Amino acid sequence: MLGEVILVGIMVGAVYALVTVGYSMVYGILKLMNFAHGDIYIFGTLICLTLLTKYNLHPVLAILIAAIAGGGLAFLVELLVYRRLRAAQHRLISMITALGAAYVIQNISELNWGNQVMSFPSIVKSKFITLVGLQISVTHIITLFVAVLCIAVLILFMRYSRYGKAIDCVSQDMDAASLMGIPINRVVSSVYFMGGMLGVIGGVLYSSAYNAVSLGMGFRGTLIAFTAAVIGGIGSLGGALLGGMILGLSENLIGVYISSSYRDPLMYSLLIIMLLVKPTGILGSSDQAKV
Amino acid sequence: MMMDSKKRKWLLLGGLIACLLLVPMFVTDIYILSILNVMVVYSILCLGLNLILGFTGLLSLGHAAFYGIGAYTTAILMTRYDFGFVAAFCASAVLALVAGIVIAIPTRKVRGDYFCLITLAFGEIFRLVATSWIEFTRGAMGIVRIPMPKIFGIAIVTEAHFYYLGLGILIVTYLTIKAITDTRYGRAFIAIREDELAADTMGINTPIYKIMAFSIGCLFAGMAGSFLAVYQTVVTPSNFRLEESCLMIIMVIVGGMGRNLLAPLAGVIVMTVATEVFRSTAEYRMLIIGLIMILVLLLRPQGIFGSSSFKS
Repeated sequence: MLGEVILVGIMVGAVYALVTVGYSMVYGILKLMNFAHGDIYIFGTLICLTLLTKYNLHPVLAILIAAIAGGGLAFLVELLVYRRLRAAQHRLISMITALGAAYVIQNISELNWGNQVMSFPSIVKSKFITLVGLQISVTHIITLFVAVLCIAVLILFMRYSRYGKAIDCVSQDMDAASLMGIPINRVVSSVYFMGGMLGVIGGVLYSSAYNAVSLGMGFRGTLIAFTAAVIGGIGSLGGALLGGMILGLSENLIGVYISSSYRDPLMYSLLIIMLLVKPTGILGSSDQAKV
Repeated sequence: MMMDSKKRKWLLLGGLIACLLLVPMFVTDIYILSILNVMVVYSILCLGLNLILGFTGLLSLGHAAFYGIGAYTTAILMTRYDFGFVAAFCASAVLALVAGIVIAIPTRKVRGDYFCLITLAFGEIFRLVATSWIEFTRGAMGIVRIPMPKIFGIAIVTEAHFYYLGLGILIVTYLTIKAITDTRYGRAFIAIREDELAADTMGINTPIYKIMAFSIGCLFAGMAGSFLAVYQTVVTPSNFRLEESCLMIIMVIVGGMGRNLLAPLAGVIVMTVATEVFRSTAEYRMLIIGLIMILVLLLRPQGIFGSSSFKS
C-alpha cells in the first residue's frame, strides 16, 4: 500500500512540477505573482477535452494544440495586461490586475464549459501491471514519463540554448540585459508562452490520470504552483521540481493516511509555515532589500 | 481659515449622516432597503480594508476570513449559547481582532507579496475548515435560524431597523478610523506604504504599525460579519470565499485608496449597483468584476475619487 501511495505521489509530484515551472519562471523574471496561471492551464485542458471528445483527435495532436492555445492565452494576457504595468507601478497593482485576469479567464471557461466536474478520457488504455510486487497503473507510468521528459527538455533548453541563457540574464538584471541587446519583451513573452504550454501539459496529464477536470482545479492549481514554488525556492528551476515533488508526495500521504478533507488546509498551512520560516525556499538564494 | 474648512467638513459630514438617517422615512421599498443594507456591510468592510490596503499598503486577500470569523462567532454564540446580540457582537469584534493580531505578528516582517500569499492561504484555510468541520460549523449547510437581535430591549426586525443598526456600526467605524488616521498613526501607515525601508530608517516602528493597521481593519471586518449573521439569519462558508475578498479590494480600488475615507464608499456604491444591474446576467459576473479590476488599474489606478495613488 505504502509503495503504491508513494508511486502515485511521485507521479502527481512530477505533474505539479510541470505546472510550477511555468509559474516560477515568470516570477523569476518579473517578480509577478501570476494569479491567472491556474486558470490558463485549465482553459487549455478544457480545449484538449473538447478536441478529444468532440473531434476525436489523436491525443498527442490534441495535447499539442491545447498546449499552444494555453501558451497563446498566457502570451496574450501578458501582452494586453501585464506589460503595461511592468515598468512604473507599485507591485500590488500588477498583482491585483493578475487576479482580475484570472477572473476573466475563469468566467470565459465557465461560459463555454460550465463549472461542473467533467469526466476526462484516459489518454492511454488503463491497465495494471505488477512491478516488484507493486500494482502500478500504466497511465501513471506514462504520465510520469511525459512529465519527466518535458522537464528534461526544458532544463536542456534553459542551459544550452541562446534563448535559455537570455531568459537567465533577464531574470538576473532586466536593465543590464536590455543594455546588452537582449530583446526584453520577446524574452518575457516567450517565458509566458512556455509557462502556459507546460501548465497545459501538466493539466492534461493530471486530468487524464484522474479522469476528471473542473474549473475549480484552476484556482487550486494556482495555489499549488505558489506553494510548490515557495517550498522549493521561488524563481529557480530546480526548486520548482523539488517543491512539486514534495507537495505531490505529502499531499498523497496526507490524503491516504490522515484525512482527505483536511488535505488542502494542511497544504496551505505548509505554505504559510514555509513563508514564515524560510521564504527563500529550500534551494532559493536569499535576497536582501536594496536601498 | 484652517478652522473654517475643518468646520465645514464636519458640517458636511453631519449633514450627510442626517441625510442617511432620514433615508428610511422616504424609501419604503424593501428591495432598495436591502441593497442599502448590503452597501452598509461592504462599507464597514471596505473602511477596514482601506486602513490595511489603502493606508499601509498591505494586500490582504484574506479579509473575508475575518468577516467570516465575526459572522460565525455571532451565529454560534446566539444559536447555541443564548447570547444576546450586543454580547455576541462584542465577542465577534474581539475575536476578529485577536485573529488579526495572530496573523499580523508572525507576518510583520514578511515581504509584501509573501504577505499577500499568507493571507490568501489563511482565507482558504478558514473556508475549507468551515466547510469540513461539520460538528462545529455544520459544514456547507451553514448555521441557520440565527435569532433576531435585540438591543437594549428594542427588537430589530424590519429592513429599516437593520439599516439603522448597520448605519450605527458604520458611523462608529468611520469616526474611529478617522480619529486614528488623522493622527501621526495615519501618517506612519502612509509612510510604510510609500517606502517601508525609508519609514523604518526614519524611526517609525514599522512592525508595530503594521500589526496595528491590520488588526484594527480585521476588528471592523468582525463587526460587519456579526451584523451579516443577524441580518441574513444564516451563515454559510460560501459567504466568505476568496471572491468576496477580491470584491472588497476592487471596491476600495475603484473608489480610491488612502486619505479620503469616503472614497472607498463610492467604490462600494458603484460595485453594488453594478452587481444589481447585471443580476440578470449573473453568469458574466466574474467577467465584469475582472474587467473592471483590470481597466481601473490600467487607466486610473488611483480610483474614481482617490487622492493619492501608489507611488511609482
